[in-house]
Amino acid sequence: MQRSIAFEAFRYAVILGIVAISLVPTLWMISMAFKPIAEWSAAGADLTWWPRNPTLDNFRFIFGQSSTELIVALERTAGRPIFASLLTASVGTLIAMTAGTAAAYGLSRFGQGGNLPLALIQLRLFPPMAVMIPVMIMWSFLGLIDNWFGLSLIYGIVTLPFAFWLMKTFFDDMPREIEDAALVEGCTRWRVFLRITLPMMRPALASSALFVFILNWSDYLIALLLTTRDWATIPVYMASLSSSMTGQLYGAKAALGVIAAVPPIIMGIAIQKHLVRGLTFGALKE
Amino acid sequence: MSEIALENLGKSFGDFTALADMNLTIANGEFMALLGPSGCGKSTTMNMIAGMLRPSSGTIKFNGLDVVDVPMAKRGVGFVFQNYAIFTHMSVRENLAYGLRAQGVRAGEMTKRVQAFAELLQLEPMLDRPAAGLSVNILQRLAIGRSAILEPAIFLLDEPLSNVDAAFRAVMRSELKSLQGQFGQTMVYVTHDQLEAMTMADRIAVMDHGKLLQVGTPLEIYNNPADTFVARFIGAPGMNILNGRLTQQADTVAVDLPGLGSVALPPALQAAAARLTTPDVLVGFRPEQINAAKAGLTMHVGFVERIGARTIVHMEQGAASAKAVLLSEVETPKARKDWTFAVPDDAIRLLDPVTGQALVGRPN
Ligand SMILES: Nc1ncnc2c1ncn2[C@@H]1O[C@H](COP(=O)(O)OP(=O)(O)OP(=O)(O)O)[C@@H](O)[C@H]1O
Ligand SMILES: [Mg+2]
Repeated sequence: MQRSIAFEAFRYAVILGIVAISLVPTLWMISMAFKPIAEWSAAGADLTWWPRNPTLDNFRFIFGQSSTELIVALERTAGRPIFASLLTASVGTLIAMTAGTAAAYGLSRFGQGGNLPLALIQLRLFPPMAVMIPVMIMWSFLGLIDNWFGLSLIYGIVTLPFAFWLMKTFFDDMPREIEDAALVEGCTRWRVFLRITLPMMRPALASSALFVFILNWSDYLIALLLTTRDWATIPVYMASLSSSMTGQLYGAKAALGVIAAVPPIIMGIAIQKHLVRGLTFGALKE
Repeated sequence: MSEIALENLGKSFGDFTALADMNLTIANGEFMALLGPSGCGKSTTMNMIAGMLRPSSGTIKFNGLDVVDVPMAKRGVGFVFQNYAIFTHMSVRENLAYGLRAQGVRAGEMTKRVQAFAELLQLEPMLDRPAAGLSVNILQRLAIGRSAILEPAIFLLDEPLSNVDAAFRAVMRSELKSLQGQFGQTMVYVTHDQLEAMTMADRIAVMDHGKLLQVGTPLEIYNNPADTFVARFIGAPGMNILNGRLTQQADTVAVDLPGLGSVALPPALQAAAARLTTPDVLVGFRPEQINAAKAGLTMHVGFVERIGARTIVHMEQGAASAKAVLLSEVETPKARKDWTFAVPDDAIRLLDPVTGQALVGRPN
């Protein structure tokens, strides 16, 4: 098909536009993270794309080292919230993936739990805020407020539908013959599941887990409501980075944002080879 | 070693009947081919024998024992799937050893068996390669090896060669046959390729639309098809079937083929023809049994196909059409001309035009 030059130009313009819109905020955050206070608090003509005097002050600051220019005493440093985020997002992912994978396998292979898909989807039918107040009351009654297992548990529950639906499509796509072949050779169901199905589903598990982890990692609302101080996560802590003297500490927030971007990127790179779409199993049909 | 008996076996999926009332006994050590077009219920039958599907009705017996309630892991059958079902996250060696390990075979014995089967199936050079990157031909070899290594008494193969290329198929046909000769398993082999069934099987079970139509040796099925479906399905091209009318000539019965001429009936079919209540009948004869002749049947030649040593003559006359297969070195008829040929008496088959069933004149 012969496309006109005008059309091609338009196409690239749209692509560039979309790339710019999605990259500019990220680049701006990275740039700001390395700007000294004078630069990140500047306005109007003084704004620059790149830091004129790059510095690590913002990073030092959130880890408790105050600089000469920014004399604000931080109540807490970023270490604890980073740890809280890592722990709760990981445990939440583990809960969602374990329950989701088991449920998806049961439904996909044995048709067990027929109304499970709908029951799980209804978890996402309304905005989380609508149910968070009752959840808060329940969690407080159960003593789950502001501790890691309370937050991990709710993360596991909230992301379970995603884990379930993703894994179900992957299980549905895996040819049954592969399992039947192992069963007929004398394997038990459990052994087949652990030795054949799960290893062959590694790419599916990896991509689903990454997706679920990112959902948990980026949560703000739930953590805000269910933690008070000890287990505040990165987003909650980030919101608290302000002072009456200087207002919002944008430089510190940007530095924390850069740090927060690291774990998902590392995970993404680690499982990149699994993220390639189209799982090819041992079967070639037709 | 095992005998398999299917008794009134049936399977429905909801309203749809995939298999109805199948009765078939496969003898110990026999090579049985299930042959039929796509969707006729071959895989359904196999999956029930293996225990992957539960029959809706009827029973399956191994050596006289009902196995319907025996789980598939305990039935002692080997199964080769059409789409290989290779464990791609393992090496060739691990694939071969998988079943042995599941059955708790000792390590020393396992290594020996894997080595022996790798040699037998020429998989030795790639034993330690990952299974994921292998060619289709090798995958299928591996799939066969992985099942055969357990030396099952019953070996079920569901279209194992349908994805491999033609040259390799020919090689595998003889290898499978010699594998069976070596181990003497009872073998059930599903295929929709009649050449595979004809060349390998001791007996063939022809199926269509969930029904077993005929069971017999390849030659029985070729020579005496039980009905019009089998007659047309077996042979390449299949049997010619033409509408005819019985006519009484002196004290013998002949068949008049309108527009073509008339053929005499062999004595064996005279009595069978006499039992028909109407004079209408279907006449069948194999394209290979036609010879050019001075007198006999005459048809108009549409076109002539030369396929190496053989020549296929496509003929028609009115609503009737037929094919002849001739050796290419004999003189072949010209296209768009009339051609006269003869069909030997004993090549004639009669079929009931209403039921499609063959009229049995001469028992096999
Ligand atoms: N689980 C199922 N649910 C509903 N229908 C099914 C199911 N399995 C098979 N069928 C139907 O039963 C019929 C027979 O299927 P089967 O797989 O036995 O055919 P087949 O003879 O093996 O054909 P092929 O040569 O294509 O493999 C088909 O029409 C198929 O659509
Ligand atoms: Mg099939």
